[in-house]
Amino acid sequence: MERAAQQAVPLGQMEVFQALQRLHMTIFSQSVSPCGKFLAAGNNYGQIAIFSLSAALSSEAKEESKKPMVTFQAHDGPVYSMVSTDRHLLSAGDGEVKAWLWAEILKKGCKELWRRQPPYRTSLEVPEINALLLVLKENLLILAGGDCQLHAMDLETGTFMWALRGHTDYIHCLALRERSPEVLSGGEDGAVRLWDLRTAKEVQTIEVYKHEECSRPHNGRWIGCLATDSDWMVCGGGPALTLWHLRSSTPTTVFPMRAPQKHVTFYQDLILSAGQGRCVNQWQLSGELKAQVPGSSPGLLSLSLNQQPAAPECKVLTAAGNSCRVDVFTNLGYRAFSLSF
Amino acid sequence: MSSESSKKRKPKVIRSDGAPAEGKRTRSDTEQEGKYYSEEAEVDLRDPGRDYELYKYTCQELQRLMAEIQDLKSRGGKDAAVEIEDRRIQSCVHFMTLKKLNRLAHIRLKKGRDQTHEAKQKVDAYHLQLQNLLYEVMHLQKEITKCLEFKSKHEEIDLVSLEEFYKEAPPDISKAEVTMGDPHQQTLARLDWELEQRKRLAEKYRECLSNKEKILKEIEVKKEYLSSLQPRLNSIMQASLPVQEYLFMPFDQAHKQYETARHLPPPLYVLFVQATAYGQACDDESDSDAEEEQTTKRRRPTLGVQLDDKRKEMLKRHPLSVLLDLKCKDDSVLHLTFYYLMNLNIMTVKARVTTATELITPISAGDLLSPDSVLSCLYPGDHGKKTPNPANQYQFDKVGILTLRDYVLDLGHPYLWVQKLGGLHFPKEQPQHTVITDHSLSASHMETTMKLLKTRVQSRLALHKQFASLEHGIVPVTSDCHYLFPAKVVSRLVKWVTIAHEDYTELHFTKDIVEAGLAGDTNLYYMALVERGTAKLQAAVVLNPGYSSIPPIFQLCLNWKGEKTNNNDDNIRAMESEVNVCYKELCGPRPGHQLLTNQLQRLCVLLDVYLETESHDDSVEGPKEFPQEKMCLRLFRGPSRIKPFKYNHPQGFFSHR
Repeated sequence: MERAAQQAVPLGQMEVFQALQRLHMTIFSQSVSPCGKFLAAGNNYGQIAIFSLSAALSSEAKEESKKPMVTFQAHDGPVYSMVSTDRHLLSAGDGEVKAWLWAEILKKGCKELWRRQPPYRTSLEVPEINALLLVLKENLLILAGGDCQLHAMDLETGTFMWALRGHTDYIHCLALRERSPEVLSGGEDGAVRLWDLRTAKEVQTIEVYKHEECSRPHNGRWIGCLATDSDWMVCGGGPALTLWHLRSSTPTTVFPMRAPQKHVTFYQDLILSAGQGRCVNQWQLSGELKAQVPGSSPGLLSLSLNQQPAAPECKVLTAAGNSCRVDVFTNLGYRAFSLSF
Repeated sequence: MSSESSKKRKPKVIRSDGAPAEGKRTRSDTEQEGKYYSEEAEVDLRDPGRDYELYKYTCQELQRLMAEIQDLKSRGGKDAAVEIEDRRIQSCVHFMTLKKLNRLAHIRLKKGRDQTHEAKQKVDAYHLQLQNLLYEVMHLQKEITKCLEFKSKHEEIDLVSLEEFYKEAPPDISKAEVTMGDPHQQTLARLDWELEQRKRLAEKYRECLSNKEKILKEIEVKKEYLSSLQPRLNSIMQASLPVQEYLFMPFDQAHKQYETARHLPPPLYVLFVQATAYGQACDDESDSDAEEEQTTKRRRPTLGVQLDDKRKEMLKRHPLSVLLDLKCKDDSVLHLTFYYLMNLNIMTVKARVTTATELITPISAGDLLSPDSVLSCLYPGDHGKKTPNPANQYQFDKVGILTLRDYVLDLGHPYLWVQKLGGLHFPKEQPQHTVITDHSLSASHMETTMKLLKTRVQSRLALHKQFASLEHGIVPVTSDCHYLFPAKVVSRLVKWVTIAHEDYTELHFTKDIVEAGLAGDTNLYYMALVERGTAKLQAAVVLNPGYSSIPPIFQLCLNWKGEKTNNNDDNIRAMESEVNVCYKELCGPRPGHQLLTNQLQRLCVLLDVYLETESHDDSVEGPKEFPQEKMCLRLFRGPSRIKPFKYNHPQGFFSHR
């Protein structure tokens, strides 16, 4: 190749295939290690890559520091969701949840500690698990996904205790309301349902698409993302991103964002959201857009805030989505650099 | 003088008085001498010592007299004057003596000086004579040495030695009796003999020359005779050819080839030998010939004639080339002509594909089999536009050639595998002056290269055929690939054209491929258009020369209810992934020539699924444009809400990956 802009390596079959894989990679989930120094990212090929945040953020960071320390094939299908406990990394995708030891994960040939599959009703197609939620007080792991149910698994014994039914279409996202404790779930059917963990019953339903202020029929009615702050909830997806007051089930603020949002979270006094479109959006609670910081992927699917107390120097926001790159924001104003598969 | 004058006078007057005259004369002389008070003579007589004593005495007397006078003068008196007068007279006499003594002293001095002077003159004269004589002596000595050193010409002639001389020379020349004793005569005799011998030898030389002339004439005659024989022999050989063929011994043809091959430059020779060996070993039908090249040059009158000539000189090809014909299974032949550029020490190749039946080239397939690009990138990155010999850069700088790319159409492509087949190896680090041709290098690459060449030709021919069909809007799916697709495919391919490289890079939905370095200028680019109803799907295709081991890459842009590309629609991204990343399922039976057409068919299927599974917008009135006919388990899955693009055979439903 004689063009200076492109790489000079002659591309054989292997290199072309790898390049194509990277171009079509989607990173669905991220999770920060308990020590705060490592970031795990899961992609659509079922691979999990562990990046060293401390190495990439240090002053002697080179290009290799932005590559994963280790990449391994975790699942057969895409890794849609990951959470971390204080010792384990739990990943879920094609119907199974697997656990990995953070202490062992950096070694080559790491095997999962255990794997569990919730009891599914259908056997024709294995439903995916879109969301994992840790309820530490009850030592529970809640899984939700393609079979429209929320399954609760006891972390000690690994048994599935109960399943909550109510959604009519598959579930996208989960959120935990600490105080009660209640779990919120948002799904493809356009409803946000609240479930009480102790009684295992649905206590509230909010059908977002029925509210005129936020519904956008041309996008669909699916709820792609949920976040809750006990009294308040913000959700988005097909309908517009809206802040709700939970007790009264009324939408208080509609955020003027046209693109469907796929991930939302509360951070300090801001709301951060990301979705279709390159940018991480920062909203004031009043509904004003405080900032829009562009990332490197054409669409974002997950945001992760590293707030582990053990590693204050690695306190960053990472965003990943429709590319092989994880953008790292050291301060919310701009993208510092990108880690890449 | 006076005596002379008196002599003259006296004889005139008194001749008879000769004697008395003489006597007078002598007397007058002596009288004269006696009269003449000669103080010179007196000087000789007196003794200088005594004169000195006299001087001292006189001075004393004077002093005494002066003192007495002084006394008398001081005393006074009458007698004094007389005594003073007396003493005065005495003093005067003393003064006279002193004067005389002074004169005598002067005369003595003068005499002494004269004598010294005379003596000195004499000494000088002798001295001069001595000098003259010495000078003459030296001169004579020089002359003598010159004479002694004189070499006469005769000494430069190498004369035969004395013994030989006496042996060979006839007695009337050698004259032994005379010459033995007299070296001068001897030398003369020897010179004589030398002359004699030389005359004889000159005579012999002339004779030999005339002989030679005669013999040459004879040779001419014989040559003519032989050359008249040659055509007769040829005709005999021709007559024997049918016999050779009948007996399956193409001895003549192979022999001729080997003869010509001997004149090949080393790299071409290596190639020839290795290719012949491979051909025989595989029982393959690959013929190799060494051919004479017809050089017909047209001289273009240009301004920079000098530089142009230098460039032509630098890029000159060896007149012999090796022609290799590779026959493939379907009777198509790849003709490869290998050339050797002498000054640059590299080999180039020109390729041509001929098929058993005449090919009608579809418009989009123009570049597939073109000689310029059919062999491009046989090995990854081997585009054949740059010279592989790093030393050539310095040569190019001298004549102002920027790159070999401008000349490849004329000279052939200098691919790296061509150099390897010719045994030329150019290490990347240092340019070497002499690159030796290596048979083992050629042998190790021969088989792989031949296989790659055959695969290349066959895949290109397959594409050629497929393109003819694609241009008519039919995606030719072979029967053994039918299982990959559902029975009913509604979307149709309506357009298939080539686009230029620059046009591809300028499309707004191909930026990712360009940035990833997958869209270089050695690839071929096409645009396909798939339509169904109001939906139009544009697909920009990058065809790598290494097809089908390297898959074509598709980038999609859907125009239906807005423009959707992989930037703003996750499903378009998923469709691209189905075609680009999951291509291995679409390769079909080996050797995988069906990949492109299968990918296109899959694209049509994907468009069908996309359009049919689009969720109905409740706010808009009217039925869906595309009713769902595909069997799908679920319409959406995962956080990205991807449609079910994976086709399951033989059940015939669509699911997610």
